Amino acid sequence: MDNKLNAKDLINVGLFTAIYFVLFFVAGMIGYIPFFMLLLPFLLPLITGIPFMLFLTKVKKFGMVTIMGIIISLLMFATGHGWPVLVTGIGCALIADLIFKSGEYKSWKKTVIGFCVFSGWCIGAMLPMWIMRDAYFEQMRAGYGNEYTDTLMGLMTNWVFPILIVLLIIGGIIGANIGRASLKKHFQRAGIV
Amino acid sequence: MQAQLFQSAPINTSLRLDPRTKLLMMFILSVIMINGDIRGKAVYIRLVLAVIPFILLLFSGRIKASLFYAALYAAVWFAEAFLVYTTSGAANILIVMLAGMVGRFIPCAVMGYYLMTTTRVSEFVAAMEQIHMPRAIIIPLSVMFRFFPTIAEESRAINDAMRMRGIGINSLSKNPVALFEYRLIPLLMSIVKIGGELSAAALTRGLGGPVKRTNICKIGFGVWDFCMAAVMIAALAAYVLIQRGTL
Repeated sequence: MDNKLNAKDLINVGLFTAIYFVLFFVAGMIGYIPFFMLLLPFLLPLITGIPFMLFLTKVKKFGMVTIMGIIISLLMFATGHGWPVLVTGIGCALIADLIFKSGEYKSWKKTVIGFCVFSGWCIGAMLPMWIMRDAYFEQMRAGYGNEYTDTLMGLMTNWVFPILIVLLIIGGIIGANIGRASLKKHFQRAGIV
Repeated sequence: MQAQLFQSAPINTSLRLDPRTKLLMMFILSVIMINGDIRGKAVYIRLVLAVIPFILLLFSGRIKASLFYAALYAAVWFAEAFLVYTTSGAANILIVMLAGMVGRFIPCAVMGYYLMTTTRVSEFVAAMEQIHMPRAIIIPLSVMFRFFPTIAEESRAINDAMRMRGIGINSLSKNPVALFEYRLIPLLMSIVKIGGELSAAALTRGLGGPVKRTNICKIGFGVWDFCMAAVMIAALAAYVLIQRGTL
C-alpha cells in the first residue's frame, strides 16, 4: 500500500478540520460563561465525537491526524490563544496518531484512547491559568474588570486541573461511543462509510 | 451577505494588499485584541487597531458593512469605558461578557472577513508557497477556507428543513438529542458528499500531480503593504513595551 499522503487524503483532512473547528467554536462560545469554562474539556470531545469517528474511517495512513492537529493549533495560535496550545496541539495529535497507528486504524480500544489524547489539545488553551497564573489573571483583570476575574480565579484553583483531565477522558469515551453509534445508525445505512 | 469567500473572479479594490501582509495583520490584530485591555495606555493601541479593519472594508467597497462595524464597536467602546467600573453584581458580569466578547472578536472577525472576501484561492496558495509552507499544510488549509461558507450554507438549508418538521428551538426541552442529531448528521452527510466531488474536480485539474505547480497570480508588496505592516509592527512593539511597563 502506498503510504504517502495523496491529494485526496489532504482534502479529507481539510474537510474534517473545517467541521471540527466550527463545532469547537460553538463549544468555545459556551466557555465564556465562567462556570461553563470548566465544562469545555468535557463538551469538546462530546460534540466532536461524531465528525472525528467519521474522519477516522477515512484515515488509513500515518500523518493525517497529525496534520489536523497542526492546523488546529496554528489557527488557535493565530487567533491569540498563546503558545502553549501549539505545544499541546501538535504533541497530542502526534501521540494520538501513533496510538491509532499501533491499532492499524482499526482497533476500537485504541481509537477511544487516541481520541481522548487528541482532544487533550484544548487543555493547552487553558494551561496559562496554572503555569502562568499571576500574569494570566493580571492580564485578565485589565481586560475584564475585577468581578469576572475574581469569579474565575476562585474557580480555577489547583485541584481543578486533575478534574479537567478526568472530565476530558469521560467526555472522550462518551463522545467516541456516540460517534460509533451514529456511524452504525446513519452512515453505514446510507452507504457513506 | 452572499457566499463570496475566496472567490475566483478578479476583485476590484483601490487598496490592494498582498496575502502575506493580510496574514501578518490578522495575526497581530488577534494577539492584541484577544487580550482586550480596558485599562492603561494599551486602550489607545486597541483603538488604533480597531480602526484598521474599518478602513480596509471602506476601501474595498463594503461601505454598509464598514458602517455597521463602526457603530457596533463604538457601542462596545462606550460600555467598556463607562459601564464596566460603575456597575456591579450580575449586571457587571453581563456587560463584561457581552462587551468583552464583541470587542474582542468583532475586529478579528471583520479582519478575517476582509481577508477571505478579498483574497482569491490561487493568490492564497501562491503566497503560502512563497513562504515555503509545505503542501501537506497548504491543501488542507485552502480546502478548509473553501468549506466554511459551504458549511454555513448547508446548515441554513438543513435548519429550514428541520423547522418545517417542527424540530426547532422549542424541541430543546422535549428532545434535545434530536435537535443535535437531526442537524449534525445531515450536515456531515452533505459535506462528505460535496468533499468527494471537490476532490474529484481538484484531481482532474492536476492537484495530485508530482510536479511543481505554476501560478499566474501576481503577488507582491506595494506601498500599501509597507504602510500597513509598519503601522501593525509599531503597534505590536508599543504594546509589548507597555506590557513590560517601560512605556
